[in-house]
Amino acid sequence: MNAPLQVYEPFRAGLPPLKRYWKSLWGRRTFISEYSRSELREQHFDSVFGQLWLVLNPLLLSAVYYLLIVIIQGSSDSTRYAHLTATLFLFYLIANSLTGGVKSITAGQRLILNTAFPRIMLPISAVVIAIFKFLPTLIVFIVIRVCVGLSFTWEMLWAIPILGISILLALGLAITISCINVYFRDIASFLPYMTRTLLYLSPILYEASSLKSNIRALEVFNPLFPILDSWSRTMVHGQAPQTSSVLQGLAWAVGIFIIGSYFFLSREREFAVRL
Amino acid sequence: MPSVSNSHKTSEIAVSVRGLGLTYTTAIDRRPTLKARVKALGGGGKQTRVIRALDNVNLDVEYGQVLGVIGSNGAGKSTLMRVIAGILPPSQGRIEVHGSVSTLLALGVGFNPSMSGRDNVFLGGLAAGMRREEIENSFAEIAEFSELGDAIDAPMRTYSSGMFARLAFSVAATVRPDILIIDEALSTGDAKFKEKSLNRIKELRSDDRALILVSHAMATLRDVCNDVVWIHKGKVIQRGEPNVVIDAYQEFLKVGKSAVIDEDF
Repeated sequence: MNAPLQVYEPFRAGLPPLKRYWKSLWGRRTFISEYSRSELREQHFDSVFGQLWLVLNPLLLSAVYYLLIVIIQGSSDSTRYAHLTATLFLFYLIANSLTGGVKSITAGQRLILNTAFPRIMLPISAVVIAIFKFLPTLIVFIVIRVCVGLSFTWEMLWAIPILGISILLALGLAITISCINVYFRDIASFLPYMTRTLLYLSPILYEASSLKSNIRALEVFNPLFPILDSWSRTMVHGQAPQTSSVLQGLAWAVGIFIIGSYFFLSREREFAVRL
Repeated sequence: MPSVSNSHKTSEIAVSVRGLGLTYTTAIDRRPTLKARVKALGGGGKQTRVIRALDNVNLDVEYGQVLGVIGSNGAGKSTLMRVIAGILPPSQGRIEVHGSVSTLLALGVGFNPSMSGRDNVFLGGLAAGMRREEIENSFAEIAEFSELGDAIDAPMRTYSSGMFARLAFSVAATVRPDILIIDEALSTGDAKFKEKSLNRIKELRSDDRALILVSHAMATLRDVCNDVVWIHKGKVIQRGEPNVVIDAYQEFLKVGKSAVIDEDF
């Protein structure tokens, strides 16, 4: 083995050398897959009943919310149920990334204190776990969609880039919140309130088109709004999404990802003394 | 001698530490919270204090050396090890590491207590940058050395502290890096296992490896090391012959040679 020389010097504020960071992250990609697999196995999602629960849980949730819609509105229809499930499942992809990501750094304390590795692996793993939990619900939604009798169209392929944007947003949010939690440990306790608020602010229990224009104007501040609206248009109604919504969602996702990662990368060398 | 993959010559520098200083600010509060920060806004109370953990440390470790690191609790021993392993960035100075370091990998094992010992070993290894096959190859040896039996597949929260330490030591002793750091935290377990691990450390001594042992077990250090450094309050006090340095340290502690500190690790 050629002795690899490593030099450690005081770091200046700012980013670590990105090329080397990326190389070291890519070299450890098996950690991310292995970590998510162990985590899912540990939560018993590898057994039949575990997977059943993974499907049953969002189904029960959507049933409860559907009940709420019927009671408040007095009536509803099957398309509405499809909209609810489609958006609720995607919302949970992002919400699970947040809840998994928030404690990823503080829970990995032992590892961080004793091993040198790119810390960003931990929140990324949290998002990968959330994606694995999301996939079965996507199948459930397709089944619901067939049962409700909605027709499939080519425009539904738009779902792929929209899902990509959602995952980028989930990554950005998980990275940001895991970093914030190192400095403010009580963020984790505020998180349920934040996700609940996001749930109500997003077009899940209602459709984006039914909002009053003055409230709609405020929704430019909700990163989830354009994404969930586009998701519903393609996945439920089989239409192409509004270009402005897609671009708005993309801008949010890229913005949060870049700012969050910058924050994280410039701080992560300090994590070991903060834990 | 046939050419082996690790070809470091004896007395080639493994680790070079120059003018190392490390300061960090630590929160006075047990847990940094937003609530505490907001509360402190009015009072303007100071939330942190600065700790000077290491101060102008110069240290060279050569291949073939077995370096013992001694010092009281809080002297900065573990901090120094973490800097060498690249976990903590230094505030001043420069550290050069020629070769692969064990990165205290073993102590990271068990970071997720709800996962099994097996999963923890794999994840710790992967995080340290090992390949899956490498870990698979050494896993049987790790499991056997730890003598954990079926418990290796039980969640680590069910482990006793002895079992925990056994697994950690087994990982440290099986993964064969160029520079191996064994922290004192590894040195627990029953008498039988202690002897077994001491023998393993002796086996690991070789010309193409540098061993760094952090320990309070003076008898062990006298036995295994060929060099000892004494650190106190972040500074190197003395370095040299194990017996000389350890005697000076024990004199300093004013406890002399007593059974308590001579106790084997």
